[in-house]
Amino acid sequence: MKEIIRTEGLAKYFGELAAVHAVNFSLKEGLFTSIIGPNGAGKTTLINLMSGYLFPDAGRVFFRGTEITKTPAHKRVKMGISRSFQIMNIFPRLTVFQNILLPVLSHLNKNSQAFSTLGSQREAVEETEKILNEVWLWEEKDSPAAALSHGDQRLLELGIAVATNPQVCFLDEPSSGMNPIERIKVLELVKKLSAERKTTFAIVEHDMDVVFSLSDWIVVMNRGEILAEGKPDEIRDNQEVRDIYLGEEI
Amino acid sequence: MKKTLMVLILIAILILLPLFAGKYVIYMTIHILLLSLFSLGFNLLFGYTGLLSFGHAGFYAVGAYACAKILLAAPSLLVGIVGGVIFAGLVSLLLGLLCIRHTRIYFSMLTLCFGMMIFSLAWKWRDMTGGDDGLVGIPRAPLEIPGLLRISVAAMESYYYIVLVFSILAIFIFYRLVKSPLGLTLQGIRDSETRAACVGISVRNYRLISFTIAGLYAGLAGALLPPLENTVTPPVAHWSHSAEPVLATLLGGIYTFAGPIVGAFLFYIIKDIIVRFTEYWLICLGVIVLVLVLGFRGGVVSIFSGKGGTG
Amino acid sequence: METLAFQGLVGLSLAMYLWLLSAGLTIVFGVLGVLNFAHGSLFMLGAYFAFTFYGLWGINFWLAIILSLSTVGIVGYLMERFFLRHIYHLDHAYQLLLTFGFILIFDDAVKMVWGGVAKIPAMPGFFEGTVPVFGRLFPIYNIFIIGSGLLVALLLSMLFEKTWWGKIVRASASDREMASAIGVNIPTLFTGVFIFGAMLAALGGALGTPVRVVAPGIGAAMIIQAFIITVIGGLGNLKGAFVGAMIVGILSAYGILLFPVFELFLIFVIMAVVLMVKPQGLFGG
Repeated sequence: MKEIIRTEGLAKYFGELAAVHAVNFSLKEGLFTSIIGPNGAGKTTLINLMSGYLFPDAGRVFFRGTEITKTPAHKRVKMGISRSFQIMNIFPRLTVFQNILLPVLSHLNKNSQAFSTLGSQREAVEETEKILNEVWLWEEKDSPAAALSHGDQRLLELGIAVATNPQVCFLDEPSSGMNPIERIKVLELVKKLSAERKTTFAIVEHDMDVVFSLSDWIVVMNRGEILAEGKPDEIRDNQEVRDIYLGEEI
Repeated sequence: MKKTLMVLILIAILILLPLFAGKYVIYMTIHILLLSLFSLGFNLLFGYTGLLSFGHAGFYAVGAYACAKILLAAPSLLVGIVGGVIFAGLVSLLLGLLCIRHTRIYFSMLTLCFGMMIFSLAWKWRDMTGGDDGLVGIPRAPLEIPGLLRISVAAMESYYYIVLVFSILAIFIFYRLVKSPLGLTLQGIRDSETRAACVGISVRNYRLISFTIAGLYAGLAGALLPPLENTVTPPVAHWSHSAEPVLATLLGGIYTFAGPIVGAFLFYIIKDIIVRFTEYWLICLGVIVLVLVLGFRGGVVSIFSGKGGTG
Repeated sequence: METLAFQGLVGLSLAMYLWLLSAGLTIVFGVLGVLNFAHGSLFMLGAYFAFTFYGLWGINFWLAIILSLSTVGIVGYLMERFFLRHIYHLDHAYQLLLTFGFILIFDDAVKMVWGGVAKIPAMPGFFEGTVPVFGRLFPIYNIFIIGSGLLVALLLSMLFEKTWWGKIVRASASDREMASAIGVNIPTLFTGVFIFGAMLAALGGALGTPVRVVAPGIGAAMIIQAFIITVIGGLGNLKGAFVGAMIVGILSAYGILLFPVFELFLIFVIMAVVLMVKPQGLFGG
C-alpha cells in the first residue's frame, strides 16, 4: 500500500497551547481513513496543516515523497490535495453550477481565460454536469448557492471538494450541523464518492457508526497527538481508546 | 434577446445624438461615458472581486496627466490616449503589488492613501504637473495614423464620436471579460477567498490582475479627458473624485454588469439637478450614500430586475 | 544639529494631534470592528466647535474644550446609534461606504455653517510666548500639547489595563459573544466606545485650534495620516497607534525641513516600506 501523505514530527502552537504535537501521520493510498478523537484533539488542525490552510511551527509534510510543508494551499490543490470545511464554505452568490464549474476550470487550468465565454468551455461544462449529477444537485443547478438548504449546501461542498479530481480529499466533519435525514444523505454521498472515485478519502467524524462501517483505517487523536491507529477491529478493542471516550459504545 | 435589442437601441441613440442634441448635452454625454468607464473599472474590483478602492481617481489622474503630457509634446490623439492608458496600467500594476496582499479593510485604507499620494504629487510637483495650475493648452489633437489617415476632431461632435467608439469597444471587452472564466474566478474570490484558494486559485495573482485592469479602465477614462477640456488639474486625483465611481456604482447596482453605467447616467442627472439649487452638493451626495447603504444596497438595477438588495 | 533637534520637537507636537486622532480610530476599530472613515471629520468638528466657543463666543478656554468634546460626543452618538448600528451585520464594505458618506456630509456642512474660509483664532493668554530650546524659540503652547498628548497616553493605558471598564472593553473586543454571555450590554458598550473615540478625535481638533488652521478639508488630510499611522502601527493596537503617530509626526517634521513639498510623499514611502516588511504593521498580529 503506497503512502500518499506523510507528516513528520508535525507541531502547531496557538500561544501556549500545542494544538498538534509531534504528529507522525501517514495516509495510505486507497484506504478510507477516519480521524477520530475528542473535541480539541487537534483533528481539524492536522487537516489544516496537511491541506495548506496553516503552516506548522515544526515538522514536515510530504505528498508522494515531495515535501510540501510550506507550499501554499492553492498549489497543493494543483498537486492533487483537496478538502472540505467543517463550517460551510461555498461561493454563496454564485449559482450551484458555477460553484462546481470554478474548481473544474481550475483543474483544467482555464481560470485565466479572459475572452472566451463560460459556455464555450465544453470540457469544463460537461465535467461540471457530470459532477452535479453525481452529488444529486442537478435540479438546483441554477439556484444561487446561498438559497440551498443546509443539507444541500453540504452536498455542494462535497462536490466542490471532488471537482478538482483530487488524489487525496480531506473531509472535516462532513455531517456536522446536519439533522438526521440530511446526515444520512451526506454520508451516503461520501460512501458513493469513495467507492466510485480514485480519490483517497480521510474524514474527521464523530458518528461512530459511520466511522466503523466506512473506514478501512482509523486514526485516534487525543490532546494533539496520535494515540492509536489501526483497522477498525483493532481500534474497537483498544482499551486506551475506549477510556478516552469514557465508556461510550464504540 | 430583449437585452440585446435594448443595447442596440441605446447605441443607435448615442450614434444619432449630435443630430438632435445641442453642445451641452453632447458634452454631458461624453462625461457620462467617461464616468461609466471609470466606474466599470472600479466595480471590477468591488462588485466582481470584493475589493473596495477609495483611491481610484489616482489612476484616472495618471491617465489624464500622461495623455496631456504626450499631447503637448506630440499632438497625435491615438498616441496620447493609448499612452495614458499604458501609464495608468503600469502605475496600477506597481501599486497593486503593494495593496493586494492585504485584507479588505487595510486594502481600502491603502487605496485612499495612495490615491491621495498621487494627488499630492500632482499638486506639488510643479515641474512635471504644473502644480495647482495644472497643465493647460492641451490640444484636441487630430486622430492620426501616419500614412493612412488624419481626421480632425476639433469639433465637439467629432470628439464625441471618438469617445463613443472607445467606450463601446471598452465596454464590449469588459462584458466579455466578466462573462469569461476569469470573471467567474474573480467572483469566486469575492465570495470566499479561502474556498477559492482551496480549489487551486492563486488569489493574490487574480486580485492583481483585477486591480490592473481596473486601473487600465480608469486610465482610459482619464486619458479621454484632456482633449475634451484642454486642461488637467490636480482635483482629478482627489479623493472626492474617487467618490464618483463609488457613488455611481452604488446608485446603479454593485453586483450587476450595467449597474455602473446606469449609475453614471443617474449620477450626472442628479448632480445637474442639485447644482441648480445649491452649491452644497456633497452633502446631498452624502445623504444619497446613506440612503442607499441603509436601504437600497442593490442599487437601481436591482429595483428593476427584482433581485433586491442582498447586501 | 540643533536645528534637527528642534525640528524633532516640532514633530513631537505634531505627532500628538495625530496620536489623539489615531487613538480614537484604533479603539473604535478594535472594539466595534468598524473603520470610521469619518473620524477625521470628527477631529475637524472638534476644531470648529472649539473655535466657535472660544474664538467667537469668548468662552473660557478650558470650558470651550469641554463643550467642544461634548458636542462632538453627541454627533458621535447620533452617528453610531442611528446609522452605524443598523449595518454591523453587513459586509465591512458597507460600513466603509456609510462612513464615507458621512465625510461628504460633514465636509459640506462645515462650509455651510462656518463658510469656506480658514479660521485662525487667538492664543489663550497663559500659553502665549516662547521658550528657548536648542537655540531656537519653541512655543509654550506646543509644550502644553506635548504634555497633554503624553498625559492622554498614560491615562488611556491605565484605563485599559487597570480599570474594570477597560477590562470589559478589552474582553468585548476579543470575544463579543463571550462578553455578551457574561452580561455585557454590547450595543450600549459599542455606543459608549464610539462616543469615547469621537471625543478623543475632537480633543485633538480642539486643542489644535489656537495654533492650527481651522478649515474644511483638515479632516480629510488628518484621516489619511491616521490611516498611515494605523497601518504602520497595526489596526486595533493602541501602542501601535502611539508609536506610529510618533513616527509619522516626527518624520513629517523632518520631511518639511529636508524635503519640502514632498514630505507627504516621504510618509507614504515609509508606510509602503513597513508594509512590505511587516504587512500587519509593527505591532499587528
